[in-house]
Amino acid sequence: MDRNSSASSSLDGPVDLSASRALAIPDRRTLADRVAGFVVRAGGIGIIASILAILVFIVAEVAPLVDGAVVVPGARISTLHDAKALSIDPYKRLVAWLDAAGVVRVTDLQDEETIEERPVAPDSTMVAALADPDGQFLGLLDDSGRIELSPVSWRVGFEDGQRVVGGDIGDAVRFELSDVALVEPFTARMVGDGSQVVVSRTADDRLVAFRRTREINEFTEEITESDSRSFTAAPSEIARLVVDDEQEHLFGAGPDGRLYHWNLYPRVSAVPDVTLIDGDITALNLLLGGRALVVGLADGGLQVWYRATREDGSHGLTLIRQFPPQPAAIRHIAPSRRDKGFVAVDDSGMVGLYYSTSERVLWRGSAGVESIGAIAVTPKADGILLAGSRVLSVLDVDNPHPDVSLWSLFAPVWYEGYDEPDYVWQSSSGTDDFEPKYSLTPLLIGTFKGTIYSLLLAIPLGVLGAMYVSQFMHPRLRNIIKPTIEIMAALPSVVLGFLAGLWLAPRVEESFSTLILMVIAFPLVIVGTGLLWERLPVNWRNRMPLGSEALAFALTLAVAGAVCVAFDDTFEALAFGGNFQAWLRNMTGLHYDQRNAVIVGLAMGFAVIPIIFAISEDAFSNVPRNLVSGSLALGANRWQTVSRIVLPTASPGIFSAIMVGFGRAVGETMIVLMATGNTPIRDWNPFNGFRTLSANIAVEIPEAPQFGTLYRVLFLAALLLFIVTFAVNTAAELVRQRLRERYARL
Amino acid sequence: MSTTDRIGQFFTWLCGGALALNLLLVVGLLLLIGMHGLAYFWQSGVAELQLRGGGRLLGEIHGVEEVPADEAAWEGEQRMRMKIGNRDLYGLDFRWVRESEVEAVTYPEDVVLLERMEWGNFYGRMLELRQAGEVVSRGADSVWSAFPAVHASKMEERAEIEALEAGPIGDVNYQIERLRLDQRRADLEGGADAADRARFGRSETELNQRYESLATQLFAMRDRLADQQVVMEAATGERKAIVVGEIVRCLRPNAMGAIDSLLLYFSRIWEFVSGSPRESNTEGGIFPAIFGTVMMVFLMSFAVVPFGVLAALYLREYAKEGPVVRAVRIAVNNLAGVPSIVFGVFGLGFFVYLIGGTIDQIFYPEALPTPTYGTGGILWASLTLALLTVPVVIVAAEEGLAAVPRIVREGSLALGATKFETIWRVVLPAAAPGILTGMILAMARAAGEVAPLMIVGMVKLAPSLPIDHHFPFVHLERKFMHLGFHVYDVGFQSPNVEASQPLVFATALLLVAVVVAMNLVAVVVRNRVRRGYSTSAV
Repeated sequence: MDRNSSASSSLDGPVDLSASRALAIPDRRTLADRVAGFVVRAGGIGIIASILAILVFIVAEVAPLVDGAVVVPGARISTLHDAKALSIDPYKRLVAWLDAAGVVRVTDLQDEETIEERPVAPDSTMVAALADPDGQFLGLLDDSGRIELSPVSWRVGFEDGQRVVGGDIGDAVRFELSDVALVEPFTARMVGDGSQVVVSRTADDRLVAFRRTREINEFTEEITESDSRSFTAAPSEIARLVVDDEQEHLFGAGPDGRLYHWNLYPRVSAVPDVTLIDGDITALNLLLGGRALVVGLADGGLQVWYRATREDGSHGLTLIRQFPPQPAAIRHIAPSRRDKGFVAVDDSGMVGLYYSTSERVLWRGSAGVESIGAIAVTPKADGILLAGSRVLSVLDVDNPHPDVSLWSLFAPVWYEGYDEPDYVWQSSSGTDDFEPKYSLTPLLIGTFKGTIYSLLLAIPLGVLGAMYVSQFMHPRLRNIIKPTIEIMAALPSVVLGFLAGLWLAPRVEESFSTLILMVIAFPLVIVGTGLLWERLPVNWRNRMPLGSEALAFALTLAVAGAVCVAFDDTFEALAFGGNFQAWLRNMTGLHYDQRNAVIVGLAMGFAVIPIIFAISEDAFSNVPRNLVSGSLALGANRWQTVSRIVLPTASPGIFSAIMVGFGRAVGETMIVLMATGNTPIRDWNPFNGFRTLSANIAVEIPEAPQFGTLYRVLFLAALLLFIVTFAVNTAAELVRQRLRERYARL
Repeated sequence: MSTTDRIGQFFTWLCGGALALNLLLVVGLLLLIGMHGLAYFWQSGVAELQLRGGGRLLGEIHGVEEVPADEAAWEGEQRMRMKIGNRDLYGLDFRWVRESEVEAVTYPEDVVLLERMEWGNFYGRMLELRQAGEVVSRGADSVWSAFPAVHASKMEERAEIEALEAGPIGDVNYQIERLRLDQRRADLEGGADAADRARFGRSETELNQRYESLATQLFAMRDRLADQQVVMEAATGERKAIVVGEIVRCLRPNAMGAIDSLLLYFSRIWEFVSGSPRESNTEGGIFPAIFGTVMMVFLMSFAVVPFGVLAALYLREYAKEGPVVRAVRIAVNNLAGVPSIVFGVFGLGFFVYLIGGTIDQIFYPEALPTPTYGTGGILWASLTLALLTVPVVIVAAEEGLAAVPRIVREGSLALGATKFETIWRVVLPAAAPGILTGMILAMARAAGEVAPLMIVGMVKLAPSLPIDHHFPFVHLERKFMHLGFHVYDVGFQSPNVEASQPLVFATALLLVAVVVAMNLVAVVVRNRVRRGYSTSAV
């Protein structure tokens, strides 16, 4: 039985049977239909949503950059004495502290047990105490005029998979003068190999700088220590001293608002540089790296000073930035040992967490500790240790991205070692105390520089070419030309970048003048060819399809190009005295890099031409025929019609084409990566290289640790690229849609 | 003609000139790549230069140019770039020779070119052939005639060594690594008991013994490979004994006829597409890169086509046309314009770190901290590219669906088919060429894309292919090589940029050929689709 007869038999059959069949069969099918409809709807919406979720994900990766620090109270123990100087181990377990009686103890913060106890100066009274910012020693000055430094070292080991932290207090090292007592203020510093510098005021108003150098013979492991000391006159009001990590500079402060700077190496300089600041200095310390001086003032103000070249050409301490003041006089400042952050405590007990480079106040609040006598930042910068009256308290700090703010990413920042605020991208360096510089501005400028130079090439070639193809060319020719240009769009950018960087760049460097010669010669050659073309017999020309002269142009341009290359030497000799680069340097002072913006412009222009071409060709050829015919019928010639009717009508489409081309150029990665030197500099010189946002991501993200600041900053760069290209493309699409509607109405 | 007409004429010509320049650029670029790429495989003659100051040089002349202006002493002179090879003797593959230095150029027939596994080409003359230190034959011609047989047997030995390394030794290493991971996993899962430990210990000793015996065998074979040497004399007089087993090819370029040259040409092309890279990618073949590219592109298509078609079906057939769907359509279209590096960054953060990291913690805790899926790999690269190209597929599939005439659908519905049946049996088959176009375009785009892959899984040199004979045969977590990245890496990061540039041209040619061919196919299919509907609709 075939299907037709079965269908007819069911129609002819009893009613109830046909009804049951009609119900049974469609039921399964409707179910399938419903399920399929559900699957397609859910799947479709899901896919589209997940595509759009890319943006959400990237935003979520960027967002933590602007979060402040989260500070929560951590361990808190009571002690029998007040701590005057502190050092804490990297895991926030053990604290070494010095009390007023000159006893150093190591106390466990978890079980409050004191593991080690060691009197440093048992037979005298302590006058002042200090802790090394790196936590390597605790020091005291006693009433007999001696300074004792007790080395502190932390051991970390593993036992049965558990981390065990131990602390040792070494034998105290003594610094003294035989003839005169040492008095306040004093400071000390130790570097990795154990070399120490101690600077103190003496009772006869001098400053003495002790330098104890340890040299370890690598072969015999013999340690030779050499001592030296030098003196200078002490300013009468000196109240605070601090030495940098390199032990080369000594800074001091008087309560009257004077900041002093002495050179310390090899001997302390006789006369200090004096800088007067507005306010009474109540606290002083150096940030990591020893270049930035943080000054705390009696009115709660906090200032950062570097030594820089001032406007008048002199070199000295310069006010770099100020933080909003705390409510009371700043009493203690402790630098982070990881980055350019610091903690300040004022007389009201308020604790503030700051970051110098990004100028951020990360956290402010009370620690709930009375009369704070000493503070320290934990070695991993994940906590603040505070010593109050008979209490040690830790604040746990979660502070992953203190080093950037939206402001510091785009605005000029005054970095250490610079003479003025600047836009710099330099994400890493060899040293630990390096200040990362994340300014996206030079990258933005590089991005726009590359884009502009490539559009300079692509807009005229793309738009004019499209105009010619759509308006002056026979469809038969057009059908060959258009796919050829489409191939241009398909060429992988890595190949274009390779050709630009390794084939074109060295050749252009050798004879840049050829390019100039071509720019001058080509229009002349075109016009000349056109004039010759006109001389061809009319019946010859009529036999060829409209637009054939473009092929003639291609031929003569190829010949002209070869001639330009051949006669470049003559041209370079005539126009630029034989050497373009030398001429450029002499005339404009510009430097010529081999891989520069012109090369990128040529290569990326090549990549953008087909995009601009395709969209503007579309706009041109969709101009309603009746407009063109009307214009021609009224006696306008072809060019008049094109320039007065077609071009104005299609202009939104061309605008849209340029925007899409812009979007492509902004995000292009491989070409700029390969055809520029990728130096993040900020200038518009066409003969220099640059670094774009996209190339920067490609270069840096393999080295960026997950969830680090650099990682998130690179995500921000990606977000910027996403937003810019998406907005530009959407705008272009809207323009095109309106144009289509307009065409439909016309 | 009036002045305005005249100006109009000039402008028209300028437009035509712009178009002509575009065409010249495309054609010129294709010619440039094609010529350089194809020239890479051609063996030119080896010139012997007699220098004026005494001394001789052997090598291939790679072009002549004027001495640059900054070397004022030789201004106006021509100089040639010679590939002198013999990197183990001279340190550099290339040198410049000014024409005034040269007294005579000859192309002697007895000059031999050795392509070696290491140190690049050797140019020189054969002196003697040695076996285990004993001279077997002496004199250029007798060595030349004795050489092919010796070389062929050595090549067989070499193939055996490679088979041993890739087969049994690779297997043992793989098993040792698996055993280590199993042991680690057992420890993590609450500790192995004594019996387990004993078992692990036994298999470990057994595997190690097997490894030892295989290694001894390998060393013996290597020693045997090394005991036949050919002693060569360079043009500058140095003598060098070269292990025959280290020689890839031995030629007398100046004595080759046209047919030999052509055969050599094609055998080099074959070696290029089927061989493995040597000398950190600057010599040898690019098979792993071709394999990686193809596999990545196909993996991507598996992901992108169903999802793209599903989304297009939803947008075109199920969603109610309105401002929201229009906005979504524009957004999806514009996603195609978002820079590829952005997708790379997303792929790194989402696929590699988030998904891959989670997979590692759940399924591969024994390998940590070495990541398995939590690092770039071929799967993540394919998925990243799938995201990048899904707009292309959606747009093309939508276009294909839209082009199916209403009458066809209505006919199907009128015959009692449900909506799904209509789509499945009528609309989708009719739209298939459109979808195919989208797929081909997506594949072409993916094949040429490099920037996002640099972040999510490409490497300079992958130790093993993502498919091999170890269970589960397809290793989606592995890193892979890629033609586009090969161009970037060898062109810009290799130690010997100058010597490797011709090879990069060859790779670039292959890549361009593949991508352009795919695009042309897409164009043809698209045109056929458009024509097909116009007839079927009537």
